Amino acid sequence: MSGCTVNRRDHDLEVGETVARLLERLGIAGPYALVERNGEPVERARYAETVLAPGDRIIVARPVAGG
Amino acid sequence: MIDPDPLIIAGRSFGSRLITGTGKYASFEQMAAAVAAARSELVTVAVRRVDFDDRDGDITTFLPEGILLLPNTSGAETADDAVRIARLARAGGLPTWIKLEVIPDSRNLLPDPVGTLRAAELLVEDGFTVLPYMFPDPVLAKRLEEVGCATIMPLAAPIGSGRGLKLREAILIIIEEATVPVVVDAGLGAPSEAAEAMELGADAVLVNTAIARAADPVAMARAFRHGVEAGRQAFLAGLMETRVTAEASSPATGLVTQA
Repeated sequence: MSGCTVNRRDHDLEVGETVARLLERLGIAGPYALVERNGEPVERARYAETVLAPGDRIIVARPVAGG
Repeated sequence: MIDPDPLIIAGRSFGSRLITGTGKYASFEQMAAAVAAARSELVTVAVRRVDFDDRDGDITTFLPEGILLLPNTSGAETADDAVRIARLARAGGLPTWIKLEVIPDSRNLLPDPVGTLRAAELLVEDGFTVLPYMFPDPVLAKRLEEVGCATIMPLAAPIGSGRGLKLREAILIIIEEATVPVVVDAGLGAPSEAAEAMELGADAVLVNTAIARAADPVAMARAFRHGVEAGRQAFLAGLMETRVTAEASSPATGLVTQA
């Protein structure tokens, strides 16, 4: 298995793909891309060093309009 | 100029007592214009998964400078859900302030008091500044204060209903007893109702739908700002005591028609 899921959708991982690279590939810019990996939040300061592994369940979220 | 009457929450000072939500606007541009017209300095956002098939802009880039974002835990049905959302928001760089909502009931959108108290406890322990949305139960308000919440946010009426200060008497007791700011959140439909909440002694109000769903949201935001300011000034000025019978405003003597 070389892939993970991002928001329940299959995602083929590049070798050594980090959270920061994932966000870049997904085209998610903006100051607040929120990432959860296997149920645990990933600190923003660690996006560039957190390497994703096959089988990871990733959730990418962000602020949206709300009350 | 130094604001003589700032709203202070968790040691942070705000010049505005009108907190606004960002939901239900026709566009981010309209939302941003309404927030600016309201002069809000504390603005709520929700946290949701990115939909890769239907992406709009980043809401945070539309907001005026100097605003503190207040992420909410909407969508949380349990204490654990709320803690998970709050931690995700904080890890990603959002403020450590959280509007806590634990709402298992989608019809009336009434918050779960037990789940809210539990989540508040966990989040305060974890270093969050917690602003809990709650049904105006004065005993629950005390409990939330005791676990270290920064405010108490009782609902005036069901979320989005616009019915006004229906739970006024319970909110009044909360205001009388509270040692943290009381923010009346949800259900206000008109600026006069925001003024009424402030006249009672609420420290702030949180308004979303009543502004966003007005025919002219920007003008309504301005109207709410004036309503909140009028209510606050009236509270500080001290309302007259009410009485049952009339008391003439004009002199009762020297009548022109006196025989």
